[in-house]
Amino acid sequence: MTGDAEVVLALALGVLFAAGTFLVLRRDLVRVVFGVLVLSQATNVYLITMGGIGGVAPILGHGGETTDPLVQALVLTAVVIGFATTALLLVLVYRTYQEHGSIDLDDIQGAVR
Amino acid sequence: MVTFILGLPYESNVQSTPDLWVLIAAVGLPFVAAAATPLVARALGNRTAYYAAAVAAVCFGLVVTLAGTHGGAAVTWVGPLSISLGFYVDGLATLVGALASGVGVLVFCYSAGYMRGEPGQPKYYATMLAFMGSMLGVVYAGDLVVLFCFWELTSIASFLLVGHYSDRRESRYAARKAMLVTVGGGLFMLVGFVLLASTVGTYSLTAMLAEPAATRAAVEGAGLLLPILSLVGIGAAAKSAQVPFHVWLPDAMAAPTPVSAFLHSATMVKAGVFLLGRVRPILVGGDWTTAFVALGLLTMLVAAVLAVCASELKELLAYSTVSHLGLIVAGFGFSGALGSETAVFHILNHAAFKAALFLVAGIVAHEAGTRAFDDLSGLRHDLPITAGVTVVAALGMGGVPPFNGFYSKELLFEASYEFAHHAGGLAWLAPVVAVVGSVFTLAYSLRFLSIFFGERPETLGSVHRAPWPMTGPPVVLAAIAGVIGLGGITAALGAPLAPVESFVGWVVASTLGPDAAGHAASFHYYLPTYVSPAVVMSALAIVGGVACFLRWRRVRWATRGLLDALPVLRADGWYDRLVYGANHASTRVQRALWTGHLRTYAAWTFVGAVALAGFGYVATGVAVPNATPSLGATLTIILAVAAVAAIAAVRAPSHVAGVMALSVVGFAVTVFFVLASAPDVALTQVVVETVTFVVFLVILDKLPSYYGRIERSRAARDVVISVLVGALVTITTLVATDATPDAIASYFVENTVEQAGGHNIVNVILVDFRGLDTLGEISVVAMAAVTVLTLIVMRERGETP
Repeated sequence: MTGDAEVVLALALGVLFAAGTFLVLRRDLVRVVFGVLVLSQATNVYLITMGGIGGVAPILGHGGETTDPLVQALVLTAVVIGFATTALLLVLVYRTYQEHGSIDLDDIQGAVR
Repeated sequence: MVTFILGLPYESNVQSTPDLWVLIAAVGLPFVAAAATPLVARALGNRTAYYAAAVAAVCFGLVVTLAGTHGGAAVTWVGPLSISLGFYVDGLATLVGALASGVGVLVFCYSAGYMRGEPGQPKYYATMLAFMGSMLGVVYAGDLVVLFCFWELTSIASFLLVGHYSDRRESRYAARKAMLVTVGGGLFMLVGFVLLASTVGTYSLTAMLAEPAATRAAVEGAGLLLPILSLVGIGAAAKSAQVPFHVWLPDAMAAPTPVSAFLHSATMVKAGVFLLGRVRPILVGGDWTTAFVALGLLTMLVAAVLAVCASELKELLAYSTVSHLGLIVAGFGFSGALGSETAVFHILNHAAFKAALFLVAGIVAHEAGTRAFDDLSGLRHDLPITAGVTVVAALGMGGVPPFNGFYSKELLFEASYEFAHHAGGLAWLAPVVAVVGSVFTLAYSLRFLSIFFGERPETLGSVHRAPWPMTGPPVVLAAIAGVIGLGGITAALGAPLAPVESFVGWVVASTLGPDAAGHAASFHYYLPTYVSPAVVMSALAIVGGVACFLRWRRVRWATRGLLDALPVLRADGWYDRLVYGANHASTRVQRALWTGHLRTYAAWTFVGAVALAGFGYVATGVAVPNATPSLGATLTIILAVAAVAAIAAVRAPSHVAGVMALSVVGFAVTVFFVLASAPDVALTQVVVETVTFVVFLVILDKLPSYYGRIERSRAARDVVISVLVGALVTITTLVATDATPDAIASYFVENTVEQAGGHNIVNVILVDFRGLDTLGEISVVAMAAVTVLTLIVMRERGETP
């Protein structure tokens, strides 16, 4: 627990989120997947920071105050699930290309509706 | 029926607290009976009406046993919010409860004749019983939440009843209208209730009414008197069809006639004026008087004019109900005992004559086959009993002495004169409007009566007398109205109708504000034997009314002309514009939002999230803390690398270059986890990043190298959204890192070794403390794997999704 406003971290997260948002809004499906990835990375960083980054690793027997282990367990789960969904997203992109012959959302939209 | 409860003593020393189980039985029985109706109807067929009438009679009996008691009874419902299933009994509750169940008995008996052989009887009786139960719930509610729940139940029940003939278009329109207007008003009322409860600290009406002065002081202290008054007032006005909410009641005559009789005389619209009487002790004062006197008198006048324009029986009666409700609202509006007496006495009188007249209209429509004034005349030979009923009821409605409506109207004149005399200035409009409204009231009452007199037209076919279940109830009602009327004559001769007077006095006492208390027990009414301002006003109204009736064609021509010039009086427009406008608007919004473009959805989600979170920050006054660069140089560099790599991923000229940049982001984040003392997360991240990179390369190999060119205009819009999201995240991070959260981590630090025998806390959490979560996580991965396999294998087998 830092108790201080982390300006560097705040700016870095701002840039990461902005980049992720911009990518999600593209018409190229692969870039949309890029965007989702960047957003989840940034979210993980944010969550880890909330557990405090100043302490000792949460392994007992090293002395000192540990960082929040619960947050780390959460993020670890999120990383694994993030991998699973990324793989699924990519396969969906692949299937979309096979079905429609394009990964341009502008083309696909016309085909679906 | 009224004489039962009128014989009871109402002096305060014999008032005991009501029994909770009697209250629960009175309110609950109709609902239980409604649930059983379909089965009963299978056995009884057309005689189901008598079953329903018996239920109503039992309820009436229970109401009678409650008469004379005073106070609350409650069982806890939602303890933490101090909401209870509370009931409250006083004079007002007894009056309206007795009307709902007593008129209920008569209306059910009448239905036996009116609904005979009609399809859908089980539905009809079940809904009517539930309607009566909801109304009893409203009147006996001792808790604001209970009151609101039953209030909305009456709206739902009336929706079903008004729309009884669900295959008719106008029925469905009318049902929807009644529902939207009254439920919409109910929502305003709910907000008012929540404001009231949060200022007073309890939802219990019983507690508020026990200390009306303290409650009012609390509300005024919080500066919420006017908002609460307006919100509750809108709820009551919508229910009681006051201007401009009077649009739903005339349409509601699409319901079967017994429903109209019930809805107009004893339930639904009376719930609105009941609410005013209920909160009157708490809220009465200057603002209260201004608002409700103006609203009530305006409604009285406008609706009386509209009733004159009506071309058929039920339409006339519907507008007349609106007009008389206006009179009651205005009565409750005047501060002091006189106003309360006006309103309470007129609730009683109106229920008697209006229910009778609706039942008469039903008989005429049933036997003559038409409700149009132009076709009806000289019916006294065919329907002599009905004609007699109508004489008593219609003259009562018109306020002709010595019929019952005269006395309450006389009280209104007196109250309005005194109000004007005290307030002066614009307040003199009140007695003037009251008199003008009464002129039209008498005119249309005479017009209604005139269908029984004059020449019988040739076009009218044979008219049979109605069966006794249909003639009986209006006779009973007219008899009650007549007795009340005669009471005025005997009072003038020195022998007042003591039971009625003491009962009304008791009811009036429960609607008085704290400053007027003590006035109550001495309610008297009598035929005036000397000249007073009110008598002069009555004389003017009667002379004017008779004159208008004698020149009926010209008056109606003039009022219709007025209506054509001022269509706003009918006020149908705002409802249609609102409802159909909302319809069109939602279609347009849907078209804008539901484009089928992924990025439209994403953009709205992002903008929505930013707007909501930003609004939350502004609303709660979150201050951005002073920023101090406290991170070490290493962390700063790593974060900078991640940020630059993310920008590179945005600008990458090809998919592969993008994946490379993404990998840089991923590994920079890994290093961040290492430096942030999260070794387990870092290890996982290394593995995941590596595998993700491989999967990307495998998939990208199969995809075209297409890389959509970025259009300028679209990019500019997206940059704005991105910058907004980035800025919000920056602020959030600043605020969040500045705070010191309550962590529950210490529990795990202390118990890891003891309970799970492990030193790596994160591992122990994953496999022990939160082991089931990890199982869920593994299931997600497994499901994703199966899905991936299915998607690819299906394609190779040549199947299509």
